[in-house]
Amino acid sequence: MSASTKRVVDASGVVKEYGDGATKFRALRGVDFHAHEGEFVILSGPSGSGKTTLVSILGCVLSATAGQVRILDEVITGVPEAELPKLRLAYIGFIFQGHNLIASMTAQENVALMLALRGWNSVDASKEAARLLSLVELGDKLANLPADLSGGQRQRVSIARCLAGNPPIVLADEPTASLDAQTGQLVTELLHNLAKKRGHTVVTVTHDNRIYHFADRIVHIEDGMILATEKGNPP
Amino acid sequence: MTSLEHRSPPKAFAPAGIRWRTMITIAWRMMFHNKLKMAGTLIGVVFAVVLSNQQAGTFLGLIKKNTMFVDYSGADLWIVRPSTLTLQASKPMGIAALYTARATPGVAWAEPLIYGGAAIQLPAGGSEPVQFVGTSAPRFAGGPWNVVAGTRESLMRPNTMIFEDSERERLGGLNLGSVREVNGTKVQIGGITWGLLPFGPSFAFAEYELARRMLRVDPDQTHFVLLGLEPGASADAVKRSIMAHSPDLKVVGREEFRGMIISFLLRRSPIGITFGTSTVFALIVGFVIVSLSMFSAVVDNIREFGTLKAIGATNGDLAKIVVTQSITFALMGSLIGLALITRIAAAIRSPKLAVQLPPQMLLGTTVVMVLMCVAASSLAVLRLRKVEPGMVFR
Repeated sequence: MSASTKRVVDASGVVKEYGDGATKFRALRGVDFHAHEGEFVILSGPSGSGKTTLVSILGCVLSATAGQVRILDEVITGVPEAELPKLRLAYIGFIFQGHNLIASMTAQENVALMLALRGWNSVDASKEAARLLSLVELGDKLANLPADLSGGQRQRVSIARCLAGNPPIVLADEPTASLDAQTGQLVTELLHNLAKKRGHTVVTVTHDNRIYHFADRIVHIEDGMILATEKGNPP
Repeated sequence: MTSLEHRSPPKAFAPAGIRWRTMITIAWRMMFHNKLKMAGTLIGVVFAVVLSNQQAGTFLGLIKKNTMFVDYSGADLWIVRPSTLTLQASKPMGIAALYTARATPGVAWAEPLIYGGAAIQLPAGGSEPVQFVGTSAPRFAGGPWNVVAGTRESLMRPNTMIFEDSERERLGGLNLGSVREVNGTKVQIGGITWGLLPFGPSFAFAEYELARRMLRVDPDQTHFVLLGLEPGASADAVKRSIMAHSPDLKVVGREEFRGMIISFLLRRSPIGITFGTSTVFALIVGFVIVSLSMFSAVVDNIREFGTLKAIGATNGDLAKIVVTQSITFALMGSLIGLALITRIAAAIRSPKLAVQLPPQMLLGTTVVMVLMCVAASSLAVLRLRKVEPGMVFR
């Protein structure tokens, strides 16, 4: 990533501890991490290494015990918990391993919901949701409930939802874990395009080494620390 | 991804109106998505509505049985003995009260009323009690109403009485023209009423003089005096004027007399406690069912609620979902429950039991159900506050 692109995520010395006293557990031990606009970064590591904790902190879902996290020009560490939803709406789009769509709402409504939370009126939100679903080639599935979609289609709805409102950062948690190889490849290409064609900063947690080559950087975490960073080989 | 697009800054946090609309939509979608759970919760509300209205309506029906005579008497004021606590047979008062009333400014009319117990001889032997009322012709204040056979004016014929339809069989198969002996006097049946069945024996009506003789009340005495006021006359002024002339008597208004009867009933009988307990029990059972159903629905959808939190919904937003659902359950359950209880009340309506469902009670039930369901959802709201958005990463 060239030095001229904007640094969107900048975390330094991030510590996260759970529990108290004898049960205290340190999930992150002073992590430094950054990501630029338009960059596709993969976080890799074994289970319990701390990568999900790091993504949760970057996503304003968890507060760090120590250290500093800056998103664009705003320091998000130390922000009261009640304010975190506003930060998430302002900066973050999420893609979850289990898709996490609202089962009772159609594909279009799931996407429009994200826009409504960001202040769009219902008419504009519906139109934009339809447009975003077309972008992920689901323009003919607007009225389908998640149960009527395949795993890959659900994940693409999830991607459309994460794009709704154009958040600068996309955080994806094991987005290909529940997909077959071909669909996983397709979803990863979509994520890659989010970074390269739309300028989102995409941070993906994955064990799936089949998609490593799409990344600009692969950051290896283990035991709450970044062990190594290697360059990917994006297309 | 079909084209290169540039990011634009995200829009602001949604204003309250949009957040409410969004949460209401989610609430309804979640509710109607799980129809079985929705039916379970609705059953709880419907149960509470039907049972509480049935109990409260029956209670009001019993109250009405005891106050209907005062309601239908046509009198604005009643002159009673000071010891009077309710409408029941009592020692007579001097007839002078009648003339005092008639001479009082503001009084349009005043009529005496005989009110006491009598016994009707049955053709097969034995006797049955009736609540015997003597009313003055031609006004018939405190006289029969709901006359479904014969006429009220038949009382002006010698030795003629009017009896209650629902008690005809018990009183020996009464029909128009039947002759029976009441308190030792042979009388003919000149009319039949419907629904004039108080707590005790049914009403039986005779013309005032006949009733007075049959109950052996002296001519210078009567049980009650009923008064009608001239238009615009002050009831208080009339009361004060009569009581100034007859300090040994009491004058009560219609509403005041109703209140005395209800108060007497509640103090001297267990019906208030009995029906009150049943009504509260119905509300408690409904509360528990709704509370558990809503909590269970939240637990079932906990991951969706976690997702909503993760993508930017606040605790307040999630509370809006649950509160919307609870209000919807209350309104739907009230609608179904009130439709049911209205039909049930109509089906079981009889002179012996007429469940009363006044509009105020139906509206009040809906308000109580809304409050009950919102309170019942508080457990679910508390559970939602503990949902961590981070759960979606696990």
